[in-house]
Amino acid sequence: MTKRPYDASVTPEFILLGLVVLTALAFDFTNGFHDTANAMATSIATRALSPKAAVTLCAVLNLVGAFLSVEVALTVTNAVIRIQNPDGSPKPEFLANGGHDLLMIILCGLVGAIVWNLLTWLWGLPSSSSHALFGGLVGSTIAGLGPSAVKWTGDGTKLDGVIGKVLLPGLFSPVIAAIVAMTATWAVFRISSGVARAFLDSGFRWGQIGTASLVSLSHGTNDAQKTMGVITLALIASGAWHTTHDIPLWVKVACALAIALGTYIGGWRIIRTMGKGLVEISPPQGMAAESSSAAIILASSQLGFALSTTHVATGSIMGTGLGMKGGRVRWRVAARMLVAWLITLPSAGVVGALVWFLGDVTGPVVGPIAVFVLLCGLTMWMWLHSRHEPVHPGNVNDEWEAPQAPTEERVGV
Amino acid sequence: MNQVIAAADGAWRVLLAGLLLGAGLPALFALGIRQLAAAHVPDTAGARWHPGLHRAAAYVSFAVVVLAVLLGLSYIVAHGFGYVITFDGIIPVVRPKK
Repeated sequence: MTKRPYDASVTPEFILLGLVVLTALAFDFTNGFHDTANAMATSIATRALSPKAAVTLCAVLNLVGAFLSVEVALTVTNAVIRIQNPDGSPKPEFLANGGHDLLMIILCGLVGAIVWNLLTWLWGLPSSSSHALFGGLVGSTIAGLGPSAVKWTGDGTKLDGVIGKVLLPGLFSPVIAAIVAMTATWAVFRISSGVARAFLDSGFRWGQIGTASLVSLSHGTNDAQKTMGVITLALIASGAWHTTHDIPLWVKVACALAIALGTYIGGWRIIRTMGKGLVEISPPQGMAAESSSAAIILASSQLGFALSTTHVATGSIMGTGLGMKGGRVRWRVAARMLVAWLITLPSAGVVGALVWFLGDVTGPVVGPIAVFVLLCGLTMWMWLHSRHEPVHPGNVNDEWEAPQAPTEERVGV
Repeated sequence: MNQVIAAADGAWRVLLAGLLLGAGLPALFALGIRQLAAAHVPDTAGARWHPGLHRAAAYVSFAVVVLAVLLGLSYIVAHGFGYVITFDGIIPVVRPKK
């Protein structure tokens, strides 16, 4: 371990802690806008809700959801790496120098997750924020502590580790969701065939709003908790907080606001891909897809086989295209998504590992700042790129393919 | 390998619950809409038409769907407060986790 130049001062540790908290909140924000599409893409595409109304509803429910989660989700990293005890407290070997080693691993893991979240947003691809977070943490852990500090697989039949908590659920969830949504769509169309259009549209409109709200609320309770857990872990490791049974109120408020604000900003590029790109959705399909998502997310969490909201929502939308006669799934779009899912864990991991090395080379004082500055630079670069072809509430529902005939009437954006 | 078996074990349970709730409830909802429409417009010409019956059937369908949604909602809330809902005696009961 490198000897710190001035042992008496606590300032570098405080800066590191501050950067971890900021970065965690930034991750929470990207988590919000990346996942708006999971709940609201179908309602926006079928015009059950206006784009602005949809993101507002989703943001409010995420905010409420974040406050509903009173339970302490401190053990979030335990799924994939070994830096915490089973009760959530950090392992004592990482507590030297104000928890510097542990904080660096968390910081770099978060940076890996954010960079991957932003890159997939730039490409308009839905990808799981929890997979990105786990990927980033695995990467920075391999870099900082070696591969043995990663929990690759669980013991026996207890689902745990990278394989049991990330890879296998990731493989199963889109298939389950597609089957359920396909069945739902088929049943709904069969039962409602021949019914006057006016009854269908208004009825399914309410069905869609209700189910989408359930997905939003459950997202708020689950995902905001993860960031709260990460920040509290960092606070404990640096000695700023002492109990594993409670979360500081300001952490809860900050995380709830970050995820709600992110949701409100709306990842329009991803909403467009999921609502218009993958399948052309009608109101009955939208309701079938969203009910399938809500049922699977809640059932999987009840049955202890937690699935990624993103994978479930995307699988459901795909299934609703398959379940309808004449329905069409754009397989090119689906294939791009699938590739993004497959490489989420390793990609976020590579970024997490690279920034850890950057932080290591530049030393314990400058390192965290260098990592954070790099994150800001990359974020800025990707944001500027997104400006070339902006997607916003005004054009989120435009036709996916450019109109064939040049004479086709175009409504002003 | 054990992990794959455990995952498959979880997956079929989720699939079953998903089909029951995720496909069954929308189907029931669609049935309600069908009945509601039938209460306004005669379904088939010739047969006796009972708008009241159709309306009642529609409301029963919707009521079941709403109950299921409320159950889902209470699940989310209970989960957030560290409780689980168990179905041992069919009637849902809220209990502290483990």
